[in-house]
Amino acid sequence: MTFEQFKDRIFALAKVHGVEAQLSFSQNKNFQVRYQNGTMDQYTDAGKFKITLQLLKDGKLGMSYTETLDDPEKVFEDALSNIAIIDSEDVEYFYDGKGEYPKIEPYDGSFEKLSVKERLSYVEKAHEEIRKSLDIINDMAVYGQQMNEMRLANTLGLDLSYTNGGGFMYAMAVAKDVSPRSAVEFAIGRKPEALNPIHVGSKARDEALALVGSKSVKSGKYRVILRNDVFSDILGMLISMISAENAQKNLSPLKGKIGEKIGSDILTVKDLPYHPLSISCAPFDTQGVPTKEKTIIENGVFKTFLHNLKTAKKDGVEPTGNAMGTGIQPINLYVEPGNKSFDELLKSLDDGLVIIEVEGMHSGANPISGNFSLGAKAFRVEGGRITHGVEQITISGNFLEMLGNIEDIGNDIRAFMGIITPSVLISNLDIAGNA
Amino acid sequence: MLDRFDKPFVEEILATVLRYGGDFAEVFVEDRYSTNIELKNGKVELAQTGRMFGIGIRGFLGDKAIYAYTNDLSKDNILAVAKRVGEALGEVKLKDFSIDLRKKELENKHFVLWKPEQVRKETKVGYMKRAYEAAKKYSPTIAQVVVRYWDYDQNVLIANTEGVFVTDNRVRTRLMINAVAVKDGQMESGFYGPGAGMGPEFLERIDVEQAGVRAARIAVRMVDAQPAPAGKMTVVISNEFGGVIFHEAVGHALEASSVARGMSVFAGKLGQQVAAECVSAVDDATIPNAWGSANVDDEGTPTQRIVLIENGILKGYMIDKLGSRRMGMPSTGSGRRQDYTFAPTSRMSNTFILPGDYHPEEIIASVEYGLYAKTMGGGSVNPATGEFNFAVNEGYLIENGKITKPVKGATLIGKGYEIIQKIEMVGNDVARGQGMCGSYSGSIPADVGQPTIKVREIIVGGRNA
Repeated sequence: MTFEQFKDRIFALAKVHGVEAQLSFSQNKNFQVRYQNGTMDQYTDAGKFKITLQLLKDGKLGMSYTETLDDPEKVFEDALSNIAIIDSEDVEYFYDGKGEYPKIEPYDGSFEKLSVKERLSYVEKAHEEIRKSLDIINDMAVYGQQMNEMRLANTLGLDLSYTNGGGFMYAMAVAKDVSPRSAVEFAIGRKPEALNPIHVGSKARDEALALVGSKSVKSGKYRVILRNDVFSDILGMLISMISAENAQKNLSPLKGKIGEKIGSDILTVKDLPYHPLSISCAPFDTQGVPTKEKTIIENGVFKTFLHNLKTAKKDGVEPTGNAMGTGIQPINLYVEPGNKSFDELLKSLDDGLVIIEVEGMHSGANPISGNFSLGAKAFRVEGGRITHGVEQITISGNFLEMLGNIEDIGNDIRAFMGIITPSVLISNLDIAGNA
Repeated sequence: MLDRFDKPFVEEILATVLRYGGDFAEVFVEDRYSTNIELKNGKVELAQTGRMFGIGIRGFLGDKAIYAYTNDLSKDNILAVAKRVGEALGEVKLKDFSIDLRKKELENKHFVLWKPEQVRKETKVGYMKRAYEAAKKYSPTIAQVVVRYWDYDQNVLIANTEGVFVTDNRVRTRLMINAVAVKDGQMESGFYGPGAGMGPEFLERIDVEQAGVRAARIAVRMVDAQPAPAGKMTVVISNEFGGVIFHEAVGHALEASSVARGMSVFAGKLGQQVAAECVSAVDDATIPNAWGSANVDDEGTPTQRIVLIENGILKGYMIDKLGSRRMGMPSTGSGRRQDYTFAPTSRMSNTFILPGDYHPEEIIASVEYGLYAKTMGGGSVNPATGEFNFAVNEGYLIENGKITKPVKGATLIGKGYEIIQKIEMVGNDVARGQGMCGSYSGSIPADVGQPTIKVREIIVGGRNA
């Protein structure tokens, strides 16, 4: 059975049962290779597809999924029986696809054209670059590429498709010291030219070496720079807070705060359907609603929650094109850059810490309370210059309080998975240390 | 549905790999049926069931490994994937080979009363609602309770060119409760998520009301809590999920994936004193119906109880097949993976510190000033440096041997190899808690565990310096 036949069968069953149906078909190709100390450690070359069915009856949604085209009747049955247990008063909707979609270049598959040899050369080169220093005792390099073809169709006539994809690489270097010192660097891109293994390898190596001799610092309040990669990690907390679903269900500290000041005057955060540095762009969300650019925080003022069809209707607003499966997510969270280079930010910091790595976002950051406490690595900055590495510290605070304490924003924007941000300077943050 | 993978077909897949390269080939077929239900404000908002069905094919050449997976299960495609694996390995090692698959009937140690599909979803929802009601009623400050239910029925077939041909069935059920308390504009949440390697009968075996109360209690206590102190201090870590400290601080660094290439701080230290003498720990995937148990691992090797540390001396690692080749040591049945889209690697199953002599009260009473970490959240570790962190979801100050004020927002950090030498007292109240462990081969169910322990000093990442 083909997907076309599967779809026709499901839509026919929907008609018989008097329900609306929506099918998504996603086909994924994925290649990844990992080297440890110059030797291949893992190599995966694979592909799969997944079909998700949503059935809608009287505003109630039942869902099922499958990875075989064998049995559309069973898949239909499952979704139908799931409708039966829904007792939420929330009303769900499907979209008819009549809106205007932004013109976004789909992924051109340029990584797919690389030979296996070319793909391996990324990790080999990164490894060689890292090992140019004899003080490196361990290293790891990863290269990966993926391509995802998505199709979405429903009984209201919507039928859309889009292809996403790109490549990434990652390197870790461990330098010899009393305790080993590790540093990581990575790159992502929609074209192979965006990945420079020499750059990734040398950055990881040099940072690991710079951390040799790290010591902890005294507990207390510090001025800090959250480097772009670190701020990107922490900014992940905002994603759950700006979901209208979470606000409606008392799970967001931003509930009722539209129009209020929640961050520093210089902070502007947007959601962008497309950014040239990002590998996660989309002309429509997972409900088929067109995506669009929107300002979430403007000069510190909270402007909007992100919506899917259900939450928008409930709040009496337009959907924002941010449905993501059963949740709500930005496409690309984008922090407007400031004017200062990273070095100029260091000068403004004068005396403090540059946080270069945080650990434990999944456990030490609570997007409901906004509180976070994370293990961190840093560089000590004195007189506007980096003086030594800092180990065994935590940074703790409240996310929204911290947004209010943003004193300066750099121009060094970088793209991470779905977040594009420069480095930021925070006027004070609690640090716990050992010294 | 695994029927179509009969012996001749599986042999053909394995032979195809070897014909193009490598000295070992393995097949992993998975058919998994899962149910997810979510309850918010006492109402079912989300119900999803679904099926995953695919095959993973792996080949080795020496200690080089190539992995591929697909869920286009046509014979032509599967054989093409097998060929690609062989070609990527590069070198044809075995000119003449015969594969002799021997079906092994496993003795099932994990008896399941009900298959998830045999129990009506309405029944499952009934238990979820009871947990919700109990949490909601616990206190007027409880503003929201989210109850999630997850079960799955996984059938796997594993075969390799060494003659292994086994099937196994893994059934797991978990209830997850998140309670949110709001007071004076402050929001705090509490979580409890018990699970087991059994069917929905698990919901009857535990007290779902108590589970709801437990999540609510954490949220309510924490909404009244002050920020935790910052700096180095003595920490008493409660039993059960407190074992996440051993899991992060030590367990990951004892997995072959980091030991084999010398990336772990514990590489080459077998037989050495690595922990305080009062510390003994095991990884045991044979515990009947435990969350991280299985009859065989995801490489078809029977699971076992592995002594990791005995009286402070490093006794063993967790080893998968590839790790076995790299380390020249036998597999310990520790090859695990999230599903067929991940190559297996060495992972923990149910990992815990064994009981010691002290009553938990004695341990608390021995501390003049410190932190009592009653409920732990998750954590993470860098096995190359031993640096770990983990969150305290419910904490209290200990002053003059007594538990006093609730404190929140504490993360504990340190280096694994240092922390296990600083364990000073081990309690007699060993228990295990359930979690999902994320690493190279994806997210897998794993138990952590320990009795109450006292650590001389850990850096506590609070806000009050």
